[in-house]
Amino acid sequence: MPDDRPIAGPARGVSPAAASTTPGGRPVAGTVQGAPRAAVQATPVERPIADTVHGVPPVAVSTTTTLVNRTGSWKYIRPVYQDKVAPCNQGCPVGIDIEGYMNLLREGRTQEAIELLLRENPLPAVTGRVCYHPCEDGCNRRGFDDAVAIHAVERVLGDLALASPLPPPAPRTWPETVAVVGSGPAGLACAYHLARLGYGVTVYESELEPGGVLRYGIPEYRLPKQVLARELERIRALGVSFRCGVQVGGELPWSALAEHHAVFLATGVHRSRPLGVPGEELPGVRAGLDLLSEVNHGLRPELGRCVVVVGGGNTAMDCARTAVRLGAEVTVLYRRSRAEMPANEEEVFEALREGVHFEFLAAPVEVMGEERRPEEEALEAIRASFDEEDARRSALRLAGLRCTRMALGEPDASGRRRPVPIPGSEFLVPADTVLCAVGEEADADALPEGLPRDGGAVAVDALGSTGLPTFFAGGDLVDQPHTVAYAIGSGKRAALGIDRWLRIRAGELGDGTDLAELRYGPAGNVSMTRWRGDDPVQRVAPLNEVVTPERINTDHFRHAERHADRQHPLEQALGGFDEVNQGLAPEEALAESRRCFNCGVCNACELCLIFCHDIAIRRRGDGRFEIDYEYCKGCGVCSAECPRGAMAMTREGL
Amino acid sequence: MSQILIKDRIPREELLDSGHLACPGCGAPIAMRLVLKALGEKTMVALPACCWSIIAGPWPQSSLRVPLFHSAFETGAAVASGIKAALEMRGDLETTVIAWAGDGGTFDIGLQALSGAAERNEDIIYFCYDNEAYMNTGVQRSSATPWGAWTTTTPAEHPEMRPKKDMLAIMAAHRIPYAASASVAYPDDLVEKVKKAKGIKGTRFIHILSPCPPGWKIADEESIALARLAVRNRVFPLMEVENGERWRFSVDHPGEPVEPYIRRQGRFRHLGDAEIAEIQRAVDERWKSLERRVQHGT
Ligand SMILES: Cc1cc2nc3c(=O)[nH]c(=O)nc-3n(C[C@H](O)[C@H](O)[C@H](O)COP(=O)(O)OP(=O)(O)OC[C@H]3O[C@@H](n4cnc5c(N)ncnc54)[C@H](O)[C@@H]3O)c2cc1C
Ligand SMILES: Cc1ncc(C[n+]2csc(CCOP(=O)(O)OP(=O)(O)O)c2C)c(N)n1
Ligand code: SF4
Ligand code: SF4
Ligand code: SF4
Ligand SMILES: [Mg+2]
Repeated sequence: MPDDRPIAGPARGVSPAAASTTPGGRPVAGTVQGAPRAAVQATPVERPIADTVHGVPPVAVSTTTTLVNRTGSWKYIRPVYQDKVAPCNQGCPVGIDIEGYMNLLREGRTQEAIELLLRENPLPAVTGRVCYHPCEDGCNRRGFDDAVAIHAVERVLGDLALASPLPPPAPRTWPETVAVVGSGPAGLACAYHLARLGYGVTVYESELEPGGVLRYGIPEYRLPKQVLARELERIRALGVSFRCGVQVGGELPWSALAEHHAVFLATGVHRSRPLGVPGEELPGVRAGLDLLSEVNHGLRPELGRCVVVVGGGNTAMDCARTAVRLGAEVTVLYRRSRAEMPANEEEVFEALREGVHFEFLAAPVEVMGEERRPEEEALEAIRASFDEEDARRSALRLAGLRCTRMALGEPDASGRRRPVPIPGSEFLVPADTVLCAVGEEADADALPEGLPRDGGAVAVDALGSTGLPTFFAGGDLVDQPHTVAYAIGSGKRAALGIDRWLRIRAGELGDGTDLAELRYGPAGNVSMTRWRGDDPVQRVAPLNEVVTPERINTDHFRHAERHADRQHPLEQALGGFDEVNQGLAPEEALAESRRCFNCGVCNACELCLIFCHDIAIRRRGDGRFEIDYEYCKGCGVCSAECPRGAMAMTREGL
Repeated sequence: MSQILIKDRIPREELLDSGHLACPGCGAPIAMRLVLKALGEKTMVALPACCWSIIAGPWPQSSLRVPLFHSAFETGAAVASGIKAALEMRGDLETTVIAWAGDGGTFDIGLQALSGAAERNEDIIYFCYDNEAYMNTGVQRSSATPWGAWTTTTPAEHPEMRPKKDMLAIMAAHRIPYAASASVAYPDDLVEKVKKAKGIKGTRFIHILSPCPPGWKIADEESIALARLAVRNRVFPLMEVENGERWRFSVDHPGEPVEPYIRRQGRFRHLGDAEIAEIQRAVDERWKSLERRVQHGT
């Protein structure tokens, strides 16, 4: 603290002529510290000063500014601008620069926001609809009021991207070509990024149309096929070629891929696990995936009045809601309780809203067939003579499912409590159709020989390499959560891995690339933008540190309600396969982007500059700021007040 | 936008220079910086003894780009009145003259001069930047020191036992055209009040809470955060009073508990839960009386 020094008093040796002037240019007498600029303008000597006329002694007048005091030498810590990683980005399995595109969108730079999004995510209109948005779980806004509706913003940007002109073909930079086997989200992501990196890419797909689960699994009412089709157009426009209806390892041997320099395997998991109870071979017992595929092929199979879905995952929810749309009364049978259900919470909520009945803590014991009653047989014969569809109905010969009540016992390997049957608790659930949705597994026989395995999954390293020369893998095939976002993230990592491997092999790259540099946050996904080294967002000394909630200065924010997705009214939703979730309107998405804290990315709010006691922060021409360390005393107020953790205090001299 | 954006409401002009001698994190220079931004270049400052006498720089320096007159401790309002009178005699009706004093120079020794000027309705703006003690001479109590606080003259064994003087009410009682309280943590509110005051003739009084890191025993970087807390918890409500009658709150005061504010300051370290509860009680009571003033006038 300054001590009590004498205050500037009457001074000897200072010419009264040096007295400062008013802004109007007139000299003012007294003990004055004058404005230096005014002092320079003063016209001394000529005009006598009133005080000397009256015999008042001359006074001290300042002649310099305090700029001669380099108060920067007082500090022992120094502020620095330092962009960081937002937790949403770190939590996103695709690794999308969410904080960056939110900032651009907020500024009205929508096209740039879309481009930033498309740098990491080839399918934003898809993920905006079906991704379970783990990004939002970590959103720093969650503790303040409610997470930013990132998925909804992504969807709006994705839809805007679909409405934009298609990109020109990606320039072919490298001689090598890559085969991608499987056109689900993992394969599509890998193909997209490789094309953008300058490779020739051919996607092999056994189905007639590309998309994998997006095309033949997820129902139309959650993901309109038109949306997928337009996303695919963009990937095609880049120059990716598709060979559909070709099963690699079947009619096309694996050896046929030898013409390519690398292979990305993304064949997914499609073999339904069996129910494992007597009677499951009866007609009327079906794999849930098959039903979904059939409906996605445009068929509308007859399921009868009572449908029982066995399983508690997302496939089960899709089966149940699809069956409701086909006119059935649906019961979902799940052996644990609601809390343990692997299905996404929103999916369960929707199923309940649509009238699906749940039997928790219940497991099937036997599928019961039924003798057809003679009087019905006659009726069916008559019906069959009128209508082929009705003839099919006569094939429904299930009576129902004999089930047992379960209790939760000790935790199993997955940490969830193991369900055990309660003796003597059996009961019958009537059923015309039983849909089996108890999980899927990879068809191991269909994969090339010699692939290293990790349990059921294909073993890969951080960038998707199987260790077998030329073979990379991703998506549901590898050991990671089975979601679209993880599949896309793995495709991106593999594209990067393939690029890196091919360039190293061609002798154009050392293998010293520090992969940690490419990560978004210590545990997050990799950034394709960082790999390419062409970040369009100007970042200041970006640090791979995730902005924690404590770094957000919430004093600078007002509460603002999260925008909820608009939903189709129930009656309309149940009437067919129209998309239920209508998302947000573009202006709502804009409002949502304004809720974003922009964690770790300076958005030029200027609070650091406004609160700097030492006027040591200045605007630079480029919208950024600089700190004048000659004067900054290192108080740390700027860093403490920055609302988004885009500054930090560092040890002086380090 | 959910962020409260203030940058467009803070004038860009800088009339305070770097290299001033305030301690790191001090609220006083930020108060002056914002006030000068709002007043502009045609301003003269009368400055009685206080920390700012040092912050302004030793002779022959000045950190201000407007004329500044150093004066005796008890004379802020009188000197400002004199400068204004002299300017008027010279035909300068444009220049704003302000007095800039600490809480000691306002609540205590300068009160007589200030009351006189207000009573005559001198055409000056009187600013008190309040750091709640005589900081420049080493943290002695003033009548602005809050109840319970440590200072060198109210040591922890005998902390301050009188409530902070209600300076805004005293000034309002003079029926001056404009009196307000402001905070360095609310720059937009502060700038708006100063601009408003500038447009009014007569005595105007603005009381600015301005944390002092060494005197409050807080970390340098906490000064703004604490000034903000003092508003949010109603310890230092931000108000305006017109003609001594119309009282209004100028920002939201959510009424958070006082405890975090008290606990973060070393000058209150000796207080226990009972004392903090007492502070809370006093804050609540004063808030009620302020609400009455807002609703029913004085
Ligand atoms: C019904 C259902 C609903 C789901 N809903 C969601 C959801 O809402 N959100 C979410 O995040 N995740 C969801 N998932 C999970 C998600 O769809 C998968 O994790 C994801 O599709 C995996 O992508 P992938 O690219 O690895 O494989 P897939 O999408 O399974 O694609 C693999 C492709 O490879 C093809 N193929 C297989 N073998 C060969 C071969 N030998 N030669 C050529 N082609 C071959 C297949 O035909 C298929 O097209 C759902 C899954 C299912 C089954
Ligand atoms: C008549 C007189 N008495 C004592 C002093 C010594 N003195 C100089 S500044 C100061 C304290 C000022 O306190 P305050 O007005 O609260 O301003 P602060 O230093 O806290 O900013 C004192 C006592 C003086 N200059 N003149
Ligand atoms: S506030 Fe914005 S940047 Fe921060 S975590 Fe949430 S969405 Fe991401
Ligand atoms: S607020 Fe100003 S003086 Fe304090 S650390 Fe930041 S730049 Fe330096
Ligand atoms: S306070 Fe605002 S302008 Fe300063 S670094 Fe933080 S975000 Fe950027
Ligand atoms: Mg003081």
